[in-house]
Amino acid sequence: MQNNATINGTGMEDDDPVVSESESESEEGEDVKLSEPSKTAVYNKDGLLDKLGDISWPENVDWRHKLSVDIDQEQEVDVNDDLTRELAFYTQALEGARQAFAKFQSMGLPFLRPSDYYAEMVKSDAHMEKVKGRLLAEKRKIEEAEERKKARENKKLAKEMQVQKQRERAKQKKEEIESVKNWRKQRKQSGFAGGDKDGDFSLAFEDGKSFERSSKRRPGVAPGDRSGGKAKQGGGKGKKGFDKKRKDREFRDSKFGFGGKKGLKKQNTSETTNDFRAFSKSNFPKQKKQKV
Amino acid sequence: MGKKRKHSEAEAAADVKKDETAPERPKRTLLGFKNSDEDKKEDGTPHVGFRNKEKVLVTCSRRINFRYRHLMLNLVDLLPHCKKDNKVESKESKGTALNELVELKSCSSCLFFECRKGKDLYLWMAKCPNGPSVKFLVNAVHTMEELKLTGNHLKGSRPILTFSSNFDKSPHWKLLKEMISQIFGTPKDHRKSKPYHDHVFVFSIADDHIWFRNYQISCPHGGAQKLDRGDLEKMTLVEVGPRFCLNPIKIFSGSFGGPTLYENPFYVSPNQIRSLEKRKKAGKYAKKVKAKTRRKMHELENPLEVDEFADMWKE
Repeated sequence: MQNNATINGTGMEDDDPVVSESESESEEGEDVKLSEPSKTAVYNKDGLLDKLGDISWPENVDWRHKLSVDIDQEQEVDVNDDLTRELAFYTQALEGARQAFAKFQSMGLPFLRPSDYYAEMVKSDAHMEKVKGRLLAEKRKIEEAEERKKARENKKLAKEMQVQKQRERAKQKKEEIESVKNWRKQRKQSGFAGGDKDGDFSLAFEDGKSFERSSKRRPGVAPGDRSGGKAKQGGGKGKKGFDKKRKDREFRDSKFGFGGKKGLKKQNTSETTNDFRAFSKSNFPKQKKQKV
Repeated sequence: MGKKRKHSEAEAAADVKKDETAPERPKRTLLGFKNSDEDKKEDGTPHVGFRNKEKVLVTCSRRINFRYRHLMLNLVDLLPHCKKDNKVESKESKGTALNELVELKSCSSCLFFECRKGKDLYLWMAKCPNGPSVKFLVNAVHTMEELKLTGNHLKGSRPILTFSSNFDKSPHWKLLKEMISQIFGTPKDHRKSKPYHDHVFVFSIADDHIWFRNYQISCPHGGAQKLDRGDLEKMTLVEVGPRFCLNPIKIFSGSFGGPTLYENPFYVSPNQIRSLEKRKKAGKYAKKVKAKTRRKMHELENPLEVDEFADMWKE
């Protein structure tokens, strides 16, 4: 350290190492202590005990005056561990309350307030309301978080189900195609026996279900319309003007959508007002020139 | 029947007291029970039952922080036997001013919250006419207004004071314990106090600091009169606040002054801590400058050899 100072030789630098030494002591930040007790500190034991004798109450004062309880601390509390520290304080308080309770009981004195005893409290009702509100809000937050979690899981599950279904459907399709192929092959092998009109072909649709219309109705689509309502409806133009108009309307509604507020779409928003793309600088002077 | 049982339970404890109370009865005076001979004070005057007439003056210095002011007001709420007074200018002569004030208000002790630089809180705890007094540095302040502290208790009910056993370790802790128990304990039969006990004060020494906590006692049966052992097990505590942590700096034998009896050997003042931190930061720059100059010196001392091929390509 001294070497360092002599080499560099300037005044400012030679107190630098001192600083770096003291840094290591003050690492903790808020609660700094000297690493070793200072030797000059006064400690007058006799004086302290004298003073204690001066101010203390007479020895035999009834406990009811003092209401103090001494509690043994089992082990040293680690101050920096918040949980254990608070727990130590809590247990001390609880033990104290229990001992005090036993003493009160033995003296036949009242301890806790009866439930019908109302008096001013330390914290006002308004404040307690706030406390309650906070507790409730916290509870709600937790519940909401749980709900969200559940929803997420459900979504995952639903996705899996969907994938499975799709796979199944693909499999079914494949099987059907396969069966049709088989049938064709068989038919080829048998040399188109039986002709087109009767034979296996008709058997496939013998259930009678096959050509039933689906019961789902699509809005704006006429029954039996296979184009999904998009085909031009040419027929019956002159016959019923009113009916046709209505159908047109229906079709357009199905195509473009209907209802809802238009005002919101047409209003200016902060983005549109700040958007100056429509204005080009060159426009304005030109106009002026034209005017003049 | 309940009464009988209680009596038998209490018998062991009452054994000692019985011989006190039995002869005491007839000697009742206007001021209360006369205690038996052994209860007489040292000065020999006929001792009429001990009566605690503690009164605490609570004030603060000017320019106190809002948080610390709230802490003070919380303590005023907790101590029904205290008197709040106007702010006092915190200067060298504040000791005499405070002593006068205490006498004027006929108090016997004083809690003075001194705020310096708007961030450091010192608490003076003094027994007033003739000492002693203690100066603490207050750390880790949480006021009662914080919403995390959900308990509540009667205003003016007398607290149960609990001390951790390490208060009896050394004389200065003993003295502090006595002072705290006198100042924070509400006198029995104080006119503003209430006859029930529903909160506990905790004074605990950890890391050479005194930690303060205040808990409400709550029982599942809404605190009915007849509690029994089962309820005792179910007794729970809810924190009411405030919280603070006292770091004793000095103990003086007089009130707000006088010869020093104790000095905390480990104490570092917050000013010192801050200055250290500042110097740490300043050191960073100084180091940089030093490195630069060292580099320069090094370059001067060891000049590069002239490169003979340096201007080879210039032609």
